[in-house]
Amino acid sequence: MNHQESQRPEKVNPLEMRDLGFIESGNNDGLDDNHEQDELADSSQSHQAVDESDSSEDEVAPRNTIGDVPLEWYKDEKHIGYDIAGKKIKKKERQDKLDSFLASADDSKNWRKIYDEYNDEEVELTKEETKLIRRLLKGKAPHAEFDPYAPYVDWFKWDDAKHPLSNAPEPKRRFIPSKWESKKVVEYVRAIRKGLIKFDKPKEEPRLYLLWGDDSSSADRTKHLAYIPPPKPKLPGHEESYNPSLEYLPTQEEINTYQLMYEEDRPKFIPKRFTSIRSIPAYENAIKDSFERCLDLYLCPRVRKKRINIDPESLKPKLPSRKDLRPYPVTCYLEYRGHEGAVLSISVEPSGQWIASGSKDGTVRIWEVETGRCLRVWEIGEAVQHVAWNPLPELPILAVSAGSDVLILNTGFGNEEQQRKIKELLQIGTPTSSDDSDNISSVLSWHQDEKHDCIRLRHFRTVSSIEWHRKGDYLSTVMPAGESKAILMHQLSKKLTQRLPFKLHGLPVSSVFHPTRSIFFVATKKNVRVYDLLRQKLIKKLETQLREVSSIAVHPAGDNVIVGSKEGKLCWFDMDLSSKPYKTLKCHPKDITNVAFHRSYPLFASCSDDCTAYVFHGMVYADLNQNPLIVPLEILRGHTSSDGRGVIDCKFHPRQPWLFTAGADSSIKLYCH
Amino acid sequence: MEIDGETNEDNSRRIQVRFVTKLKAPYKVPTTAIAIPSDLSRLGLSSIVNKLLQAVDSEWKTEPFDFLINGELVRMSLEQFLLAKGISAEKILEIEYIRAVAPRKEEQPSPHDDWVSAVDGSSPTFILTGCYDGLGRVWKEAGLCTHILEGHSDAISSVSIINSEALGSVTVATASKDRTLRLWKFDAEDSNDHPAMIRAFKILRGHNASVHSVAAKTSGDMVCSGSWDCTINLWRTNDSDTDGDVVSIKKRKVNSKAEQSQSEGEAVSMLVGHTQCVSSVVWPQHETIFSASWDHSVRQWDVETGKDLSDIFCGKVLNSIDVGGEGSALIAAGGSDPILRIWDPRKPGTSAPVFQFCSHSSWISACKWHDRSSFYLLSSSYDGKVMLWDLRTAWPLSVLDTHKDRVLCADWWKGDCVVSGGVDAQLLICSDISIP
Repeated sequence: MNHQESQRPEKVNPLEMRDLGFIESGNNDGLDDNHEQDELADSSQSHQAVDESDSSEDEVAPRNTIGDVPLEWYKDEKHIGYDIAGKKIKKKERQDKLDSFLASADDSKNWRKIYDEYNDEEVELTKEETKLIRRLLKGKAPHAEFDPYAPYVDWFKWDDAKHPLSNAPEPKRRFIPSKWESKKVVEYVRAIRKGLIKFDKPKEEPRLYLLWGDDSSSADRTKHLAYIPPPKPKLPGHEESYNPSLEYLPTQEEINTYQLMYEEDRPKFIPKRFTSIRSIPAYENAIKDSFERCLDLYLCPRVRKKRINIDPESLKPKLPSRKDLRPYPVTCYLEYRGHEGAVLSISVEPSGQWIASGSKDGTVRIWEVETGRCLRVWEIGEAVQHVAWNPLPELPILAVSAGSDVLILNTGFGNEEQQRKIKELLQIGTPTSSDDSDNISSVLSWHQDEKHDCIRLRHFRTVSSIEWHRKGDYLSTVMPAGESKAILMHQLSKKLTQRLPFKLHGLPVSSVFHPTRSIFFVATKKNVRVYDLLRQKLIKKLETQLREVSSIAVHPAGDNVIVGSKEGKLCWFDMDLSSKPYKTLKCHPKDITNVAFHRSYPLFASCSDDCTAYVFHGMVYADLNQNPLIVPLEILRGHTSSDGRGVIDCKFHPRQPWLFTAGADSSIKLYCH
Repeated sequence: MEIDGETNEDNSRRIQVRFVTKLKAPYKVPTTAIAIPSDLSRLGLSSIVNKLLQAVDSEWKTEPFDFLINGELVRMSLEQFLLAKGISAEKILEIEYIRAVAPRKEEQPSPHDDWVSAVDGSSPTFILTGCYDGLGRVWKEAGLCTHILEGHSDAISSVSIINSEALGSVTVATASKDRTLRLWKFDAEDSNDHPAMIRAFKILRGHNASVHSVAAKTSGDMVCSGSWDCTINLWRTNDSDTDGDVVSIKKRKVNSKAEQSQSEGEAVSMLVGHTQCVSSVVWPQHETIFSASWDHSVRQWDVETGKDLSDIFCGKVLNSIDVGGEGSALIAAGGSDPILRIWDPRKPGTSAPVFQFCSHSSWISACKWHDRSSFYLLSSSYDGKVMLWDLRTAWPLSVLDTHKDRVLCADWWKGDCVVSGGVDAQLLICSDISIP
C-alpha cells in the first residue's frame, strides 16, 4: 500500500499528499473499516461532492505561504508560517490524545476529521474524498469515471496485411521540424527578395482566336459600358467557292441582265468556276473592299437600339363593347326598288313615315318607309342631284335640285288645312324679282312650274346641294361653279333670294345650317368655314387637312361637325377644342360620298363608293371636360358597284336607329337595328 | 305487334310505343304497344299511324299527323327527342297524335288591283280585304268578290269587321292613309255576278296623319284606331244617335250615286301616350285596348279612364299585335325584326317575352292568334312567308310560301283557313287546316 502511494506522486496534489501522509500516520485503522453501506448510500451524492471539493480546492488558496519546505522547520515555532500579507499564522492549540479519543467516541463522524499540518487546521473529509481514498487504497484509479479497460483503438490500417508492419510508435523525427525544409524556405525567401521569383505574371494573349465568333459575347469587349459590336460581314457561302456547284453559276443571260441593273441592285459577287486553286487570280477588289469595310466601321454611326416590348393590343384605346352601344343599324330588311338609275340623294320626312329619293334617271320618288311602296313619282327630266324634305312636319314639301334648277314640290301629304297653306305658299303672285338688286336677278329667277304645280328656281349654274333652314322658310343652294354667287339663300315665304355676303376661298361643296343657332357652315374643297349670319362675319375656319372635302354634317347639338373627304377620310371636329380635327378616321378605301348624324341617337354614318356604309357611335357629352367618344360599330354591306360608284347617300331615320342608304345600283336599302 | 308495312329491318334500336289520341273514331288506332325503330321522325311516325289506320279501314286516305310526347311536339328523330328530354326508352312510350296543322288545300288566288294591305277573316261568311288602290273588297270565297267598298282617297291600311252576326247587314270599318276611317254596311248574303259597289255610311275624321290600324270592340258599338299622329282615337259606330248626321249629304260627293246618306263622326275620346306612330291596336275585352307602336312599346289602355295600365318595352319597332292564347291574355307582337315575341302580362315584371319565335328572315307584318285554340298563332313576314306556330314547339308547324313578295297581312278564317295578302296583289287562302 505504501508502495502504491509513492508511485503516484504527480497526480496527487501537495495537500492530498500531506493528507495521505497524515492518514498513514494517524487514522489508519479508521479508514480500514470498510463501510459498504455508507458507500452505497452515498453513491448518489458522490458526483456533487466531487464537484464541490474540486471547486473549493481551486478557490481557497492555501493560507500558509511558506511553500514546500519541511514542516519540521516550524516544529518548535509558535507559528506555522505566514499568510499572504506576511503576518505570522499562529499555531492552534492542539487537542491532546484523550480529547481526540473522546471526540471520536462521541462523534461518529470524527474519524473523517484529519489534521492539516501545513495549515494547522482540522479538515473534515467529504464523502467523495473518502471514496477517492478508498479507491486509492484498493489500487484502483482514483476517479470512478476513469475506465482502465477502454476499448482498443487500432490506428493501423489492416488493408491486406495480417500483421502490422510495425507496431512501433511514431518516431520522434516526425515531430521535429525538418532542417532541409527550412533550408529550402530560406532559399526561396532569398530568391523572392532578390526578385528571381515573380507572383503576378502578365497574361499571355491567345495566339489563335475565332475570327467569325460572336464579338458581343467576348468578355473584354462587353466590359465597356456602351460597346456596340460592329456589324459582321456576310459569311462566305458555297457560291464563293473557287469551284462552285453548277446551280450557283449564272448563265450568260443572267450576267447580261446584271449589267442592266442599277449599281446598287447588282449582285456584288458573281460566282466563277476555276479548275484548280492554281488558276484563281488575285481578288481585284481586295483593297477596295477592305477600305470600304473600314470606312463602314469608322463612319457608320452605330446606335444602340432601344427595343421596348409592348403588347400591341395594349396600345389600342379602351373602347366600350359594341353590345353596350345598341341599338344601331345592323341588318338590311327592306329595299326600295323602282329607280332605273343610280339614286343620287335621299331625304327622310321629319316624322319618318316617308322617304324621298332623287335619281339619275330623272325621277323623284316618295316611298313609304314601312312597306317599301313607291307612293309618288315626279318626272323631272334631268338627273336629280339632291332632294331635301322641309324640316317642318306640317309643311310636307320637297326641294329638288336637277341641273341648274331647284324645284319646290308639293308632296300632297298633310291634311286639307296644310295643303291649302302649301298651295298658297307655292304660288308666285307676280314673277318680279327684278326689283331686287340686278346682279341677283341675272343669277336666279323664280318661276311657276305648271307641269308639277310647283316653284322652279332657275339658277345660272348647276346646283349641287340644297339645305333647308330648321324653320323651314329659308333654303340655301350651292353652285360649285358659281364663284362669288356660289351660295344663295332663298326665302320661300317672300320669294326672295340673297347672296351669301362672304368671300369664299375655294370651291364650295356643301353647306349646312346650325341646328339651333343662326350659324352657317360652308364646306369648301379644303376647309370648312363657319359664319354667323346675324352678325355677318366669319367665326371660325376648320382646317380639314384633306385633299378634297365631299360632305359635311353637323351634330344635332351643333358643336361637332363631321366632314367626309374624297380620299376616304372622315374628320370629326370638336368646335370647342380647336380648328384642327379632333379625330380623323381612315376607314374607306374609296371616296366618302356622304356623312350623316342621327338626330337623337348617338350615331353617325359615312357611306362610300366602296359599296359600304360605316356606322359609328359618336357620343357627345354635356360635360365640357369630356371629349366625344367615337366607336366604330358596323360595316353595312349589300350594295353593288355600278359605274365605279357605290353608296351615294346615307340618311338616318329621324326617330329610329335605322339607316337608309342610296346606291348606284338604283336601290335604296333600309338597315334596321 | 309487328306491322307488315314496316320494312327497314336494320339493327337500329327499337322503342316500344303506344299511339293514343283524342281524335274521334275514324282516326283511332288500336292502343296495343308496338316496337318501332328509334330513328323515325314525324314523317315516319305519320306513315306508321296511316298504315295502322289502313289496316282497320282499307279505304283510308293518307293523312299527315303530328305527334306529342309529354305535351311537346316531336320535331326531330324519336331517339334525339328522347335523349334531349331525358325520357327513358325502356318503358312503353305513349305518343299522342293529332292531325297535323298544315293546310291541305290551296284555293285559287283572288286577284286585286294593287297591294293587299289588310285582311280580316273574323266573319265565317266572308273575307274583308283592304287594298292600296283605296278599295275595300268583300270575298265570299276564293276568287268570288261580292262587294267593293269605295270611297277612300288613299290606300287602305287596316280593316275590321265590327259585327258579323247581325242579320242581313254587316258593319265593317276601314282605316286609310287619307287620315279617315270609314264605316260600311252591306248585306253579306246577297250575291250577284257583278260585285256591288258600296259607299261608306259614315266617315270618321279626326286623325292628323295616316290611320294605321283599326279594331272594333267586341260588342260592336265602338271602334278604336291608331294613327301616325301618335294617338289612338275611339269612335262610335252607330249612325242614328250622332248629332252630326244632319249634314248628311256632303259636297264632297261627286258621284251621282248620292242617294245614300253619308254622315261624319267625331272621335269620342283620344288616348294619348305613345310618342310615335301607333301601328297596331286590338280591342279584345270590353274596356281594354292593347296597342303597339313604333316607339317600341306595347301599351294596355283602360277605355273608361283613358289611362295606360301597363307598358311593355321591346326595343324594336312593332308593327302588329294580337292578344289571345291561353286565357286570352298572351300578347303576341312582331315588328322590325324577324322575331315574333309573346309576352304574358299576368306575370309580374314582364319585360322579357315568354316565347320568341325566330324562323322568319325579315320584318313581321302581322300576327294573329287562333280564336279557338290557345296554342296556335300565325305570323306573316316581309320574307314572303306565312308561318303557323304552336306554343309547344320552337319550330313553325308549317310554312306557307306561296306569296311571291312581301306578305303584308294575314288572318285566320273560319277556324281552319289562313288568308293572307301581300305585295303580289293577291289574296291567298290556304284551307283545311285541322286545328284541334
